[in-house]
Amino acid sequence: MPRAIRGVLVECDPSIKSIIVKIDSEEHAFIVEDLDDQTLVIKENMLAILKMRLDEALKETQQPPSDSGSD
Amino acid sequence: MPAKRKASSNVRGSTKIGRDSAVSTPGPATPRSIGSSSDEYSDAEPSESEKENMKRNINSFSVENYKAKQRSHAVSGMDSASHHFGANDFSYLSLKPDHDNRPLWIDPHKGRIILESFSPLATHAQDFLTTIAEPLSRPIFLHEYALTPHSLYAAVSVGLDPKDIINVLDRLSKIPVPDNIRDFITSCTHSYGKVKLVLKDTKHYVESSDPEMLQRLLKDEVIGPLRVQGTEEITSASAPKMAGLVIPGTKNFAGVQQAQLEGAKPKEGENVQQEDIVATLNEDDDDDEDADAVHHFEIGDTAVETVQKRCLELGLPVLEEYDFRNDSHNANLDIDLKPSAQIRHYQEKSLSKMFGNGRAKSGIIVLPCGAGKTLVGITAACTVKKGVIILCTSSMSVIQWRQEFLKWSNINPSDIAIFTSDNKDKFARNTGIIVTSYSMVAQRGKRSYDSQKMMDFIQSREWGLMILDEVHVVPANMFRKVTSTIKTHSKLGLTATLLREDDKISDLNFLIGPKLYEANWMELAEQGHIARVQCAEVWCPMTTEFYSEYLRHSAKKKQLIWTMNPRKFQACQFLIDYHEKRGDKIIVFADNIYALKAYATKLNKAFIYGETGNAERMRILENFQHNDKINTLFLSKIGDTSLDLPEATCLIQISSHYGSRRQEAQRLGRILRAKRRNDEGFNAFFYSLVSKDTQEMYFSSKRQAFLVDQGYAFKVITHLQGIEDLPGLAFSTPSERRELLQNVLIANDADMDNDDKGDDMFHMMDGKSKAKAKKKANARRTAGALSELAGGQDMAYVEQNKSKNKELKRKKGEHNSFFKKLQRDQEKRRKALDED
Amino acid sequence: MSVSSLASFEYLEGLPGTTFRRLYLQPSTTLAIFRRMLPHLAKTFVMAMLYMTKPIPLTDLDLWVHPSSKRQPTEALSLLSRLHIVHITARTRDEPQVVSLTKAFGSSLRLALTGGGDHQSFGVPSNDSTTADVDLNFLDDYAQMQWEGILHFVVSSVGEGMRQNTQGPTPAVKQLLESGNLVTRARHSGGGITQAGFSFLLQEANAQVWTLLLLWIKNAKQMEMDSVDVLSFLFMLGSLELGRAYSTTTLTDSQKQMITYLVDFGLVYIPPSSKNQFFPTRLATTLTSDATALRSVAAGFDAAHTNAAAQKGFIIIETNYRLYAYTTSPLQIAVLSLFTKLTTRYPNMVSGRITRESIYRAISHGITSDQVISYLSTHAHPQLLKASAAHGGGPVLPPTVVDQIRLWQIENERMKATSGFLFKEFENQQEYDGCAKYADEVGVLVWKSDPKRMFFVSRVEQLKDYIKSRKMK
Repeated sequence: MPRAIRGVLVECDPSIKSIIVKIDSEEHAFIVEDLDDQTLVIKENMLAILKMRLDEALKETQQPPSDSGSD
Repeated sequence: MPAKRKASSNVRGSTKIGRDSAVSTPGPATPRSIGSSSDEYSDAEPSESEKENMKRNINSFSVENYKAKQRSHAVSGMDSASHHFGANDFSYLSLKPDHDNRPLWIDPHKGRIILESFSPLATHAQDFLTTIAEPLSRPIFLHEYALTPHSLYAAVSVGLDPKDIINVLDRLSKIPVPDNIRDFITSCTHSYGKVKLVLKDTKHYVESSDPEMLQRLLKDEVIGPLRVQGTEEITSASAPKMAGLVIPGTKNFAGVQQAQLEGAKPKEGENVQQEDIVATLNEDDDDDEDADAVHHFEIGDTAVETVQKRCLELGLPVLEEYDFRNDSHNANLDIDLKPSAQIRHYQEKSLSKMFGNGRAKSGIIVLPCGAGKTLVGITAACTVKKGVIILCTSSMSVIQWRQEFLKWSNINPSDIAIFTSDNKDKFARNTGIIVTSYSMVAQRGKRSYDSQKMMDFIQSREWGLMILDEVHVVPANMFRKVTSTIKTHSKLGLTATLLREDDKISDLNFLIGPKLYEANWMELAEQGHIARVQCAEVWCPMTTEFYSEYLRHSAKKKQLIWTMNPRKFQACQFLIDYHEKRGDKIIVFADNIYALKAYATKLNKAFIYGETGNAERMRILENFQHNDKINTLFLSKIGDTSLDLPEATCLIQISSHYGSRRQEAQRLGRILRAKRRNDEGFNAFFYSLVSKDTQEMYFSSKRQAFLVDQGYAFKVITHLQGIEDLPGLAFSTPSERRELLQNVLIANDADMDNDDKGDDMFHMMDGKSKAKAKKKANARRTAGALSELAGGQDMAYVEQNKSKNKELKRKKGEHNSFFKKLQRDQEKRRKALDED
Repeated sequence: MSVSSLASFEYLEGLPGTTFRRLYLQPSTTLAIFRRMLPHLAKTFVMAMLYMTKPIPLTDLDLWVHPSSKRQPTEALSLLSRLHIVHITARTRDEPQVVSLTKAFGSSLRLALTGGGDHQSFGVPSNDSTTADVDLNFLDDYAQMQWEGILHFVVSSVGEGMRQNTQGPTPAVKQLLESGNLVTRARHSGGGITQAGFSFLLQEANAQVWTLLLLWIKNAKQMEMDSVDVLSFLFMLGSLELGRAYSTTTLTDSQKQMITYLVDFGLVYIPPSSKNQFFPTRLATTLTSDATALRSVAAGFDAAHTNAAAQKGFIIIETNYRLYAYTTSPLQIAVLSLFTKLTTRYPNMVSGRITRESIYRAISHGITSDQVISYLSTHAHPQLLKASAAHGGGPVLPPTVVDQIRLWQIENERMKATSGFLFKEFENQQEYDGCAKYADEVGVLVWKSDPKRMFFVSRVEQLKDYIKSRKMK
């Protein structure tokens, strides 16, 4: 009998996956199964927190651009 | 009465001086004693928090301090939409009935002005606005400007009167000029430009159109005694006019051979309303002050510096003007523009701001790269016709400036000499032109015999005009050094942008002079004077391994990793291939030397960086220009300023300096000369390659901010069509990529260095040899790195040398008194307003 | 046919035949449908059959049609059939097909055209004296105020409380908007407008009115009204004359109940002084008009505005993301604030910027980047149109800004998440293949990896059953 594990399938591009792996590396609280370069299965109840942590990590690429002295 | 107020602050001011050390506090018109020992400087330096305070005060010396009087109707004017705007809801202001015909709105809070560029009055309004305000953004339809103390300072320096400014604003504005803006304009211009330092008939005078003002100065305990004994207290003369002065190469010049001629006339054939405004503007330009008379008293030559400093402390920064036509003391230089030299209208405009009243005003002219700054400098020299000293950023540019002089003017080649580490010539006759570099002049420590002789020569004479090239890349204290060691009657700063990450722009305004003119990039591009550039940001995804490493490492290493991203490499390779096939000449910029060498070597292209010797540089550049087999060139940071490359049509940026807007604008400037091609309406292409999902993306958008406000639009390219099919695509296999990653990870500190020491001016200032310099560089890097991580502080402006730091501290102290005074005045006024 | 009516047509076509029979009892309904919903050919067919006493052979209708066009008559007849206007006998081997108007439709339309009957289908004008104040301008102002109040509520219900001059719509209307999912009540998520709500805002006026009315009709049962009654009343309103007073005393009870809502919507005005009169507003009288009359709805509102550019484009968006909108309307400003960071307001213009944050905020309300771009395009200032024409029909909005708005939305969606179950540890390849194929067939397969012999499905029930049944084989 095959096993069925409940979870959330997360599909993303490799960079995002790397970030998720990094987030998970501390306490392994998120990843249920690492499928491939672009796919993971995450614990369902941890999805919201994961999204939050992901956004935080990406923030450094997205800080609001200042402009040439105005506003 | 304003006079009373001034008197009281004056009293306070002098008390403060009394408290400080015996030696007068150094003013921005720098003292000659910069090289002297530290004993001279007082211990009563401003504390850190005071400095912060002062900085805040400088920033707060703005329109916001002039709060709009509270309107009594709290209810009317507020509706359901008001909450979006808070205090910025100005819908209560009344629209003039013919508001459709007027092109401006004025924001009472921030002193911002919005201009409809499609209005029939737009051109005239633009001219006016660039004279009195700072352009903030000038895209296609609506332009924004800001009224600042500096912009108003500049307006006054070209002869505009606050009343006239307000009147013209009122005529152009859809809403009546708010009261607090009127107050702001009046009080800003009140202090500026009331006093001028003029050299006439070899004598120095403190001049003003307001005799009361002069009386006050005479009563001042510092200035009073400096009046030359035996001369009358105050003498009067008639105000200088433009009449009789014709700027060479301009339209007027072409038709005129004799002396007496009217100055610039308004264009003919305009409709009534436009003429109206134009007439006012031209009156403003040509007339000096309200009165016809100016008054002055004489001061000794040695007193000039002191008087400048003192006036600054009194809140009356002095305008430097040179009446060159009446200077019989200094020999005339035989120089004229060649008939082949065509001055474009914006060059003419900028020069007319400088020579508006028949004298040479010191100040800064801002033109995009490739728009012909050099010719502006040359024309100014041909107008002044006295000894000129020109300061450039590198020995290459020194040579180029001389060549340009020979090309556009009829100067005798023996009358123009260069002073660099390789050349120490003088000019043949009793006056001439010397072209040198900042580093040569600002060099500390022991010089070679020849060099010292040259410096003595330079310092021993009176120069008529000092031209400062590329003002935006030079550290402020370097200016101080330069302007303090060389005596000149007027200064002209040339630059593509006044942007500085270190915000020392205020220093520049007082060290050189106010901004006289700033061109509109988009307008110049439309008129074909500079290239139309298609800007694009290419997003290069990181490979999984590179990205994982990126996440793991420190900031410094991160930078190297995102630069060496194999997908970025591939993108670069693809773009080079694509553009070479189209016949473009391509420059690839890389700040990081490791990356520069790696990319260039792998792609088998020539590269130049700091360590490249001069001869080799010249060889490579010549090949790039003339050899059609050499079409791509890799450059490090030195390419930003030192080299003149007129023929590049494509720029690729693979690594750059964090968030430096100035650098971005400068690099773009390297291709603004390109005008040959015209594909799809664009003459040139600018690509910025960024690694996706890394910090580089943030820096990239920050860098583009200035250009975006000039009207450039950065396309985002998320995928390069056909890149997978490129034959010979580098790093296409996982093993190649892994190998690259390994190499990158073992790169040591030296390799990660982002900076290029070669031509760094800062570095040269220490006067040490290159070998020692490298050592110094080590110590320097750490400190530099920290500030860079803060994001935005350009390395060029970070002080490393300890004593330099100390000097810097002292310099900041100089501003204290003036701005503090200003702030005190502000507070007084605010209090007065509140009481109303 | 104007786009705005499509929603109402779809609704009508979905109704059962019995409803139509009841609907067609009212001549005003048949006239309205005839006028608004039928293409010319269908109208011709109807007129041809209107006074025929017996059914005619289907082929006779071909006389009206050019031999080569097959499609139009087929489509026309199909529509007439779906609307229960005609009845066509089934195709049999023996008899040719015949067609006739349905009884209800035919008789009502005849009454509509020639008058007569006591159906009061077209409203009963009021004989009471009317107050002179209730003139066209007043009615237009009134309608606009009510309607904009509703729109405003939709836009500004972002959890900040009432910020309107007027009191805003009645609780009944608010209820309706919520049940129609145009707004949500969820305060913690910033509440307020939904994607559907934003689309609603972007529609033109007449379409908006119908959207709201249809919502109302669908909820009629909860409000204890008969949807047919409601529809009939609406069609009647559509036939009334603007500026004329009609009697309320002749309305049926259910109609009297309906009219209170119509007052709330701004379709009808009842003067406080004479409660047995009502005045239809322009919103009502143009309900069933054709396209040209629709324009007058806008024009009518325009007249109320001093600024005649109300319907013209008024937004300038620059390559540096700054936005300038020539408007004084709090409503338009409120719409802009949904996706723009507004900064300064002048007497005739507001300025602001489109930023990553402002777009993220819009996205969090369910507004899509396409909707924002569409709004900006639709309301682009004439200067932008002029520039685009000057460049030979180039893009109106700066392409970099359009791209970036889309990119910001994508940025927000870096991760695609689907919940379900991961299946692994199959005994052999056949088991894996069979299950995967089955999962795919029933449409629950989300991802699979043959080399790993794993797959992910969104639902597990069917698969469980399948595996059990496999075992049993």
